[in-house]
Amino acid sequence: MTVDQITGPAPAEAPPTRHGRGRGRGTSMVARRQRAFYLFTSPWIAGFLLLTVIPMGYALWLSFTTFDGLSPHWRYIGLGNYRELIHDPVTWDALGRTGLFAVTSVPLSIAAGLGLAVLLNRPVKARGLFRTLIYLPAVVPPVGAGLAFKALFDQNSGATNGVLTFLGFDAVGWLADPYARYVLLMTVLWAAGNIMIISLAGLQDVPRELHEAARLDGASAWRTFRSVTVPLLSPVLLFQTVTGMIASVQTIMPLLLAPLGDTTGITTVPQSNYLYMMHVFAQYFALGRYGYASALLWVLFVIILAVTGLLFRFTSGAVFYHVDPEAKK
Amino acid sequence: MTTTVRVRTGRLALYTGLVALTGLFLGPFGWLILTGLKTQGELAASPVHWLPDHFQWHNFADAFTQIDFLGYARNSLIIALLYATLVTLSSAWVGFGFARLSAPGKKTLFGILIGSMMLPQMITLLPTYLIFAKLGMVDTYWPWVLWGLSAAPYLVFLFRQFFAGLPRELEEAAIIDGAGYTGIFWRIFLPQSWPVLSASFIIAFTWTWGDYIAPQLLLSTDRTTLAVAVMTTYVNESGAPVPELQAAASVMYVVPILLVFLVAQRGFVAGMSTSGLK
Repeated sequence: MTVDQITGPAPAEAPPTRHGRGRGRGTSMVARRQRAFYLFTSPWIAGFLLLTVIPMGYALWLSFTTFDGLSPHWRYIGLGNYRELIHDPVTWDALGRTGLFAVTSVPLSIAAGLGLAVLLNRPVKARGLFRTLIYLPAVVPPVGAGLAFKALFDQNSGATNGVLTFLGFDAVGWLADPYARYVLLMTVLWAAGNIMIISLAGLQDVPRELHEAARLDGASAWRTFRSVTVPLLSPVLLFQTVTGMIASVQTIMPLLLAPLGDTTGITTVPQSNYLYMMHVFAQYFALGRYGYASALLWVLFVIILAVTGLLFRFTSGAVFYHVDPEAKK
Repeated sequence: MTTTVRVRTGRLALYTGLVALTGLFLGPFGWLILTGLKTQGELAASPVHWLPDHFQWHNFADAFTQIDFLGYARNSLIIALLYATLVTLSSAWVGFGFARLSAPGKKTLFGILIGSMMLPQMITLLPTYLIFAKLGMVDTYWPWVLWGLSAAPYLVFLFRQFFAGLPRELEEAAIIDGAGYTGIFWRIFLPQSWPVLSASFIIAFTWTWGDYIAPQLLLSTDRTTLAVAVMTTYVNESGAPVPELQAAASVMYVVPILLVFLVAQRGFVAGMSTSGLK
């Protein structure tokens, strides 16, 4: 992936007044601009080194040790933690569940968000109000969302079981296995407004002439959507896929949905919602195995890097960039 | 005539669908409010009590007094204001650099910036916690200051897009007059960017208000934020959760964010929709 692929061309810059090493006003201006560039970007560069690179390096070092934060007798064990995690069925199960969660929740929420965007891009009355209300859940913080869904799906007092029993069905233990995974999925879909808003912004950039031309050619609404709208939205959809995948891998919603959902209550997370991050937390908080947890995190990081790389590679032909943000000037 | 009828039923179906969808999206939050208005007995009873016999408004007052609600809210507010102010300024500063200046390595740096947007935060957070613990910064608000000072890639991108769109003449005259880039940034670009500044501030504020993991990791029970308190402190003497108080408290925790969103909707949505990275 290159930066230009996802962001479009960089902003136009004034050409340097003079190249090379000559003396005089032009060169000092260039030098001044260069110094200024590093002055302006330095807070982020420093922050990135101190708050991202160093912690990741530290985690990499810890992943080769038995460090538990308490015992002074921790030692270097090389690839021991990695060997252990490869042979740990719990890790594999958690990884599998996380993968399954990502490949179901991401496409579903993108489809839901896109569907809502298309629906609310039509000239309906009170469109703004509908948009606002459907977007609203996306602003609700995770703790609020978790508690709202816990109340909704409670075995006794939940509205969903209320409806089920009213219709003559048995109440369901939604927050326990095997149903908890569906509740988790619904919390993600609840926030589809986020994707709706971003898709709406993308839809409004689709030139109207394209849709009109397609209609004149006799294309059906579905065909137009598939052949005009989706390709034009593809950069937005790709970005949504990547960020959605990364968000789903680190979701803490299973913790917030669990009976006493704090970080020490990790053991109360139902099996079907025991995602990879829950496994990391369990090792880290409940067992204090910082070395092993660090190894788990690094493996996850490498997996995400690989999946993101593959996503960009396989979609490079299908993603279509049409809008040049700087072209308007 | 039949076409008019068909159009009319089509419209009716469309609006019914929209209203149903809206209900579906607002339902969970509505149910949370209702849960906060019931008695413990009503919540334990089966089949479900759709409406409380008497609205237990006092649950909201009790949720307020059973824990130091205001204290936690103040902690949340301090962290969110601190982080949002600092990160907005630092991101504008860095965004200006990427939009208006250049130097060797700029492309690579920008690539790293965009790439780091996709870096899972959780992966850095746990080792960061260990480092902060060594530095004695656990249970202080310093981590939020540092995070704020170092700019957020997403907000940098937001500012970079905005600054890149401003006309070149803005800075040219100032440069001819001998002004430095720092002066140009503070006196010319920043005053032009109120829409982005407010969008960035609100987005960062909302992030911090909603964050659960960082305060849970870094702060003790007294110093922690409302998000953690709402989740963990509504228990009775035997340690069992008190669902109606927790529901009432979480409504009071969420409503300020919803109000901020409703008031500042335009800027918020404009900021969010930039994340499509057009």
